[in-house]
Amino acid sequence: MEVDQIVFWVFAPISVGSAIAMLLQRNAVHAALFLVVNFFTIAVFYLVLGASFLFAVQIIVYAGAIMVLFLFVIMLLGVDREESLLERLKGQRVVAIALGVGIAVELIVAIRAGIGFATKAPPDFDEVVNRGGNAAAIARVLFREYFFPFEVTSVLLIVAAIAVVVLASRRRQVITRADAARANEREAA
Amino acid sequence: MSTPISYFVVVSAMLFAVGTVGVLVRKNALVIFMSVELQLNAVNLALVAFSRMHGNLNGQVLAFFSMVVAAAEVVVGLAIIVTVYRRRQSSNVDDLTVLRG
Amino acid sequence: MLDLIWLIPALPLAGAVVNLFFPGPARPGRRLGKAAGWLATALVALGFVLAVAVLLDLLSLPAEERVHVANLFEWISVGTLSVDVALRADPLSITMALVVTGVGSLIHLYAVGYMEHDPRFRTFFAYLNLFVFFMLILVLADNYLLLYLGWEGVGLCSYLLIGFWYERPLASSAAKKAFVTTRIGDAAMLLGIVLIWLHLGTLDFGAVFGERASELTQGAATAISLLLLAGAIGKSAQLPLHVWLPDAMEGPTPVSALIHAATMVTAGVYLVVRSHVLFELSGTALTVVLVVGLVSALYAALASIGQFDLKRALAYSTMSQIGFMFFAAGMRFYTGAMLLLVCHAFYKALLFLTAGNVLHGLHDETDMRRMGGLREQMPVSATWFAIGALSLAGIPPLAGFFAKDQIVGFAATSHRELAWVLASIGAFLSALYIARPLFLTFFGRRRGEERAHEAPGLMQAPLAVLAFLTVVGGLVLGLSAEGGRLAAFLEPAVGPIEHGEAALSEGALVAISVALAVAAVAVAFWIWASGRVDWEAFPERQPELAGWLANAFYLNALYGWLVQHPGKGFGRALTVVDQRVIDGAVNEVGDEVVDASGVAPRIQRGFVRSYALAFLLGAVALLLFLGLRA
Repeated sequence: MEVDQIVFWVFAPISVGSAIAMLLQRNAVHAALFLVVNFFTIAVFYLVLGASFLFAVQIIVYAGAIMVLFLFVIMLLGVDREESLLERLKGQRVVAIALGVGIAVELIVAIRAGIGFATKAPPDFDEVVNRGGNAAAIARVLFREYFFPFEVTSVLLIVAAIAVVVLASRRRQVITRADAARANEREAA
Repeated sequence: MSTPISYFVVVSAMLFAVGTVGVLVRKNALVIFMSVELQLNAVNLALVAFSRMHGNLNGQVLAFFSMVVAAAEVVVGLAIIVTVYRRRQSSNVDDLTVLRG
Repeated sequence: MLDLIWLIPALPLAGAVVNLFFPGPARPGRRLGKAAGWLATALVALGFVLAVAVLLDLLSLPAEERVHVANLFEWISVGTLSVDVALRADPLSITMALVVTGVGSLIHLYAVGYMEHDPRFRTFFAYLNLFVFFMLILVLADNYLLLYLGWEGVGLCSYLLIGFWYERPLASSAAKKAFVTTRIGDAAMLLGIVLIWLHLGTLDFGAVFGERASELTQGAATAISLLLLAGAIGKSAQLPLHVWLPDAMEGPTPVSALIHAATMVTAGVYLVVRSHVLFELSGTALTVVLVVGLVSALYAALASIGQFDLKRALAYSTMSQIGFMFFAAGMRFYTGAMLLLVCHAFYKALLFLTAGNVLHGLHDETDMRRMGGLREQMPVSATWFAIGALSLAGIPPLAGFFAKDQIVGFAATSHRELAWVLASIGAFLSALYIARPLFLTFFGRRRGEERAHEAPGLMQAPLAVLAFLTVVGGLVLGLSAEGGRLAAFLEPAVGPIEHGEAALSEGALVAISVALAVAAVAVAFWIWASGRVDWEAFPERQPELAGWLANAFYLNALYGWLVQHPGKGFGRALTVVDQRVIDGAVNEVGDEVVDASGVAPRIQRGFVRSYALAFLLGAVALLLFLGLRA
């Protein structure tokens, strides 16, 4: 057994398990934390697959920034209260789980049909592709072939920042709990 | 590396399926959003795996861009959820039935 | 003059057009007064003068050649059907034309006085003129289609005139009834005309009655004759299409006199006499005519005795007299039928117009139970009525005697003994039923409170003329069955009449007939005028018999039950179909749509998660599909 195999077989169950655990948590904070675990496992997979740059980015951006943001919002809004187990839509759960299983099966079948279960990666990846390290290799591709998308993406980030500022700014009037309750009632009617 | 690439892709598929079920079953808007993030990550994993298989870095670069866009999207999405929560004082998606026919 | 025969109908047509379409006051006012009425009367009177001129022209010709056809213009020419507007001047048609214009003008004159207070005075005379026009077309026509045009036209005018006072529901429904009932006969008649054309290819009288007649099989002739007879029965109010005539008395009295006594109802007799060639070709048709006439005569006589309305009693009397005319025609005694037609026109018009005087004097009271003893207050009218009644009863030497006696006697001389007996009974009843209103109205105890006033001179003048005609008409026209002037005049047109010998001598027959008439009048006097019989209590003592008589043996009710009942039932059924089935289907469709649209909202509850589920479902299905294909 090689190292990467051991790593894989250790972290794969953790990955899937944490995902399912996230699904089953009634407390939103617990779910967020399980998701962080999942992100870590995925970062390890990146490392195994020879994407060390992405390994770092995954931890820094996803687990470090995005999930922290999620946790901020959860705590800010106080929605860590327990979610009720009652399902109002009839058959939603059953159909959803069935479909989820269906998707998984379909994809696995497609994989088998596409690349088969035995294909291994070509052996000279690290030497040829990752010359000078993964970061340098990615820089080589990113700033040459994908330069335009790179610029566009940076614009996108600026736009997103502005959008958030606009969206989240408070209006003049204070929206009271009574207003909200009335709005909810009107809708339920 | 001796693990077959398809194993990674299978893991990715399973994670994607879990994420999908999460979107459909949970009622808390934030948890739904987190499930969407899970789906995105599953796809990124598949991209990187295939990048390894094909022997070039296109997949990794695409996964990189996906992460960037996901970050922006999370930011905006959370802002929306916050706004909606301010109006309705509820993060339960089942309370948002204005599109009712 | 013969070629100007078209003027005779054209004049009243012009009068109708003027009175209908030209502006002017409808009601007699101070300026134009009764000009409309004078105009109408003058035109018809002028028509009479022209008819006399045509008569003289005809008489100047030898007897066998007294036929002149004035072809005015081509009317229809389609394929093999060719019909012209052609008027025929022969003894039969000119006799009818003289009656129509002569009696018609007298009635017009009377109406000028009778209708002087009516707000639609002008319209009335327009309709009267229109009627005279159509009647003249009918009798002067030289082919069946033109005759049918006149036939329908008089039906229309009858409707317009019966329902002249259309605000009265009884009047308008009586008009409808008349039109619909005669329509039945008219439809049959049209079929008969079509059959004539199908078999003979022509509708002209000269051709149909001439050489072409022999081309008809007996069956075809019978069919045609019976169909034409159906039309005649309808128009002449014989059984079974008689129900409209008593109700038609709702119209103004001049209308009853002109249309329903003197002219229109005799059109049926004219038709049968005119078509006698066809009837004679068929053995059975004439027998049917005879039976219809006799039965109608007896039926109507009994019904008349039960009526308390003066005009209705006279209406049934008309039906009975026309029954006698049909009876005569059925025995091939056409000249006798025509003599009775002419005399009947005189005395029936006289009777009706005198009844008009009574109505005028009593302010439209028609119930005889509220009359009585009017001869003190209306002596002149009483005289007229007496003359007319005695003439109808058959008292010599009045006109009715000659006419009726000849017909009854003909039955005997043609070896129809049973018919003679029945006809004699009918004659007895006729005298009875006409003496009854005479005595009820003018004799006996005065039962009403109103003071009756006599009619003005304008209305009495035509009555005087009619009375004169009633007195001398028989003497002038028909002294004997064989040699009477009218009979001789008509024979070339209707064919030779066979006169036979009876078991009894002619003198005996006449004596019997007169005796019956006198006896009947005496009985009538005793019952209704002498005061010795309590006829007023009769309906209480014998309610059933009185009911049968008063309601004319409930035939009206029977028709109502036979026709209206299924008709209304059908109408109700259709209403149900319309409401439940048709409306139901339409409403059902609407409801279905509403229900269907109730389903749709269930798909769109507004839950985002169910939308998401739907997405996933689609995606999975799509993947499956693609996967299976590959």
